[in-house]
Amino acid sequence: MLESIVHVCLAGLSQGMFIWLVASGLTLIFGVLGVLNFAHGAFYMLGAYFCYTVLAALGDNFWLGLIFGPLFVCAVGFLVERYFLRYVYHLDLPYQLLLTFAFVLIFDDLVKIVWGAGSISSPTVPGLGGSVSIMGRMFPTYSLFIIAVGPLVALGLWAALERTWAGRIIRAASSDREMAAALGAKVPWIFTGVFVFGVWLGALGGGLAVPYVGLLTPGMGESIVIEAFVVAVIGGLGSLKGAFFGALIIGLLSSFGTRFLPSFDMFLTFILMALVLLWRPQGFFGEASR
Amino acid sequence: MSKNGFTRRQFVKAGLLTSAGAAVGAGVLKPTGLWAAPAKIKGPVKVGYQAIMSGTLAGYGEFHKMGATMAMEEINKAGGIAGVPLEVEFRDSTLKKPQAIKNARYFVDSWGADFLAGVDSSGQALALAPVMAQLGKPLMVTHAATEKLTEIEVFKKGIKEIFRICTPTYQDGNAAAFVAQGLPAKKWATISPKYEYGYTCWKMFKGTLGKLKPGTEFVAESWAPFGTTDFRPHINTIMDAKPDGLYSVEWAGELITMIKQAKQAGLFKQIKHIMLPVGAAMDVLEGLGSEMPDGVWISGRYFFMFPNDQRNIDWVARFRKRWNHYPAYVSETGYSAMFAYKQAVEAAGSKEAKAVIGALEGMKMGSPAGERVFRKEDHQAMYEVPWGLTASNPKYPFKVMGKQVVIPPVEFFNRPPFEGPGTHPPFKG
Repeated sequence: MLESIVHVCLAGLSQGMFIWLVASGLTLIFGVLGVLNFAHGAFYMLGAYFCYTVLAALGDNFWLGLIFGPLFVCAVGFLVERYFLRYVYHLDLPYQLLLTFAFVLIFDDLVKIVWGAGSISSPTVPGLGGSVSIMGRMFPTYSLFIIAVGPLVALGLWAALERTWAGRIIRAASSDREMAAALGAKVPWIFTGVFVFGVWLGALGGGLAVPYVGLLTPGMGESIVIEAFVVAVIGGLGSLKGAFFGALIIGLLSSFGTRFLPSFDMFLTFILMALVLLWRPQGFFGEASR
Repeated sequence: MSKNGFTRRQFVKAGLLTSAGAAVGAGVLKPTGLWAAPAKIKGPVKVGYQAIMSGTLAGYGEFHKMGATMAMEEINKAGGIAGVPLEVEFRDSTLKKPQAIKNARYFVDSWGADFLAGVDSSGQALALAPVMAQLGKPLMVTHAATEKLTEIEVFKKGIKEIFRICTPTYQDGNAAAFVAQGLPAKKWATISPKYEYGYTCWKMFKGTLGKLKPGTEFVAESWAPFGTTDFRPHINTIMDAKPDGLYSVEWAGELITMIKQAKQAGLFKQIKHIMLPVGAAMDVLEGLGSEMPDGVWISGRYFFMFPNDQRNIDWVARFRKRWNHYPAYVSETGYSAMFAYKQAVEAAGSKEAKAVIGALEGMKMGSPAGERVFRKEDHQAMYEVPWGLTASNPKYPFKVMGKQVVIPPVEFFNRPPFEGPGTHPPFKG
């Protein structure tokens, strides 16, 4: 029994860290730009496909794929922000949702045209493809690696935003874009940069998901982006700290739910979201009003 | 007037028509009687085909399309259906019920379809049944497997428009139980999809195996929602219950993910007997390649190595030449559905729904999967599909069936009236 609890816990942690990787980019973009980027799941999918393509082209080197794959997605993200999204910042939220949702459909179809409609099975990562025995039961090494990567990304983000000059300007532009512009900050370029960085986080999540999920399919970002939205709402929209802890809670909740309350596993996540919205609509770490 | 009831004029007309028919192509037109059938058919025969073409399962739609398109090309090259061309149009079913109904209405009302075919999801097929009764056109289901479609909608409610050319859940539940009967496993568990298809298969497997081998225990079940990418909590549930057998109707990409994650968790070392009723799908076998463990029981709706006869071997070769792929089971059912309509229209001498439905009932047809017979009572095609153990074969870059077991459909298909004694396997005598 104890070994089961430990393994359910580990499975929940790795699942939570995956959701965090996706939710971090989503939250960053919302926090700074105020845009609910529905296409984030599509960038996650593109990240997975580009990583896979690069790693296949460079002789199955997973690490090179992970470094170079997301850069292609960043280029796509740049075009989307510069030539489309920029024109709807001043419009209501529904317009932003419609535009970003349109990109979900476009990218899904592009993936089908370029890589085919069928699923692609992915190779395992050399050195991380095996499992280690934890309390007599095998646990994948790669999942342990993900459990380590999640907090590192969180620390890196925190340091970049709180401890660097660029981070300070980004925070200034997000809290009052007119004042920041008046003080000489090039707000449009900051927004482009933040959007591209958020896209990079999503694409990185996709690349890291390749060996974990084991296959690539068009539309693979749809379910994870919904989980990332739930996490962002629970943690407080725009709050990175909230997204990190929200992802941990959702990961563990769904893992324990599946094991110990199997009839309610899908229900648990959403009931938590509903309760949070009722009693603390700004989320655990959100500000009361912007 | 002549004694046999023909006027001279009618006789000449009939003769002209038959000879005209023969001129179009001998062997293509097979008038069933003196009243040469082709006279009644006007314009092309139009089939509206819907399958999943978007999202994570879009690959299935592609395979449906390859099969049905190839049938259309072959039929038209050989002179069409009763001398008129076959036209097939495809639409994305999106796996959602309202879209399936919208597609069916579009096909019949706007596009002028004579017949419909396709449908992957059991939920969609059940939702379409009353709609087809209303539209009055036949629907040949090529993938959705719930037995409720044929047992309840067709047999009990009398919706004559629905036919099914693929094996239903009997293959996944009942036939699996016949195979499991011969295995030394006593405790079974499942990880299966958290929807109609998963529940109905596991229930059938438990019911039939319980009767075949009293004393068998069913120790754990874990239901994975559609879109699951992390099976570890489910795998934990199963490993805690310590079964000797795992039964899973996970399918497509989710099955690939589950097998990879189960392998990493050491599940195949702990559990020796694995049964995957839809594991013999080409996307799964090709997707897993050498990662599919050996000695796993797999089946499907058709497997390209069975039957090992010339017709099937030729078909697989033609399919590979046309598409550069091994045929998936939905390719075979999509292909054969078109030929079923062709045979029925030519036998009925009409493309009118009533006449074609009448011709399909009880119809025997040859197909790549072997001989099929559409059972009159429930419109379910009966044909043989093997269960097999995965094995490596130097001829293929993926695992195929090594040892094969074929259970005759009469032994494991539920029998009309589907309720009461003697309707569920095992049957006596």
